Amino acid sequence: MSQVSTSGFQKGMFILFRGEIHQIVTFQHVNPGKGSAFVRTKLRNLKTANSIEFTYKSGEQAEQVPVFVKELQYLYKDGSNFVFMDNSSYEQISLSESLVGDFGKYLKEGEIYQVYMHEDKGLGIRAPKKVKLKVTEADEAVKGNTVSGAKKIVLLETGLKIAVPLFIKTGDIVSVDPESGQYVERVNS
Amino acid sequence: MELASAPKNTLIKINLKNWQIRSEITWQIRNYFRNLGFREAETPTLRPSLIPESYLEVFKTQLLDRNRKGKKMYLAASPEASLKKLLSAGFGNCFEISRVFRNSETGSDSHQPEFTMLEWYRVNSDYIGIMDDCFKLFNHIYISLKKKSLIKSGLPDGTIQYSGKLINLKKPWLKISMSEALKKYAQIDFDNITDKDGWDLNSRFPAVKISAVSAKKGYQVSEYDSWEEIFNQIYLNEIEPHFKGETPVIIYDFPRPMAALAKLKEDDPRLAERFELYIAGLELADCYSELTDWREQQARFEEETKLRKKLTKTPVKWDREFIMALKSGLPLSSGVALGIDRTAMLFCDTKNIRDVLLFPFE
Repeated sequence: MSQVSTSGFQKGMFILFRGEIHQIVTFQHVNPGKGSAFVRTKLRNLKTANSIEFTYKSGEQAEQVPVFVKELQYLYKDGSNFVFMDNSSYEQISLSESLVGDFGKYLKEGEIYQVYMHEDKGLGIRAPKKVKLKVTEADEAVKGNTVSGAKKIVLLETGLKIAVPLFIKTGDIVSVDPESGQYVERVNS
Repeated sequence: MELASAPKNTLIKINLKNWQIRSEITWQIRNYFRNLGFREAETPTLRPSLIPESYLEVFKTQLLDRNRKGKKMYLAASPEASLKKLLSAGFGNCFEISRVFRNSETGSDSHQPEFTMLEWYRVNSDYIGIMDDCFKLFNHIYISLKKKSLIKSGLPDGTIQYSGKLINLKKPWLKISMSEALKKYAQIDFDNITDKDGWDLNSRFPAVKISAVSAKKGYQVSEYDSWEEIFNQIYLNEIEPHFKGETPVIIYDFPRPMAALAKLKEDDPRLAERFELYIAGLELADCYSELTDWREQQARFEEETKLRKKLTKTPVKWDREFIMALKSGLPLSSGVALGIDRTAMLFCDTKNIRDVLLFPFE
């Protein structure tokens, strides 16, 4: 493992905190007027999914956990675990709901995803900027509603509901930003 | 004649409601101190010298004379030195709302490199008098905002909402000393992290004892860490998180290394008469019973200057006039700095300082 100083902290980085792997959710350098400099962090424990707040002294070192990315195919959900497969070795890897987090709402069976790995353990999913999903249920737009920016709620193939512009119909494919959960555009083809 | 059209500049986003609240707050601050008979001061932002404060990074600039010969100048990090000079000249109880500048404070939701600070000074008063002012001032602001329907209605009398939680400004605030808080929240006895002797007024606390306590708690400690850094980490992780509740908190009597311009306690010189005010977790005000002993002040300046060098901060020219002012006799007094932007954050119910500014810095 390598050491990382607080000045090298990055969102999403995996570090060892009190012996357990944590992901840096947010961090902020603070330089209080009448005191020394600190870095406030919010860390998510990968095992328990609990988030804690911890303040590091500026310049303090943390152990960075070596994490690599593997492309895995999502197979199915088994209870509270998402089961993935490595298509080259046929090895199966499970990720708990807490590790997958909100991205679970975007997972589509059979699709390939990038999974953060430490040794042979999955740590979480590297969410793409956009996810393409099919609209399975959409109401007809209300006629005469010409308010610009008017939205309606539709159901997507993974069971997720999102707000989209009125022209979206059942069967359309839309792209969604998984970080904000917002509709981006229609990508029919 | 052309008809006035709707404004089209969409680059500037104004939160008018927040601005109205903020504007009312500054108005009511003036109102409050005028009613008390305090004098309003206006002191310079552009300064040839500053108070050396170890951890503050400053803005340095240059003044050009008629012959374009340059002179080093700074932007004031607080009006404190100027206001104390006024006190030493008999100005009396006073306040100032001023723009202050602190460098390398970007990328934070609660800091801005340029911000607005209220300072007020009470002559013949220690920090207890200022605690009382804080309580009355916040309630004064609350009442006027409520009258103008600028805060959420339907809440119990004396309360506001911040971040989904009720904050009661009217009930007595919690006053807790630093050593009580240490024991209560961090299970540390102040005597176990300081030596009653083994240090003198011109040296900082030795870090041996506190290093051991901190390491036992699982913090990383290196031999380069100062007592103040180690203490602050424990404070920020274990004590400060308790100040987010319904009741505003005044934490008082800070360890000496954390009080550059405060008077030491007569019965325990390891402690200084300083307090901080927290409301809903927001650090709003910082108060000192003012140090009036010029020799002691000069010694602390030397100490702070050494520390600035160690921390590779921009060297600053000392404000010698300030030491002169103390020499000539600073009346017994107490002063406090209160962040107006953060006070506006509290009443606007926002966690982002940029929401209460017309032209926020990123």
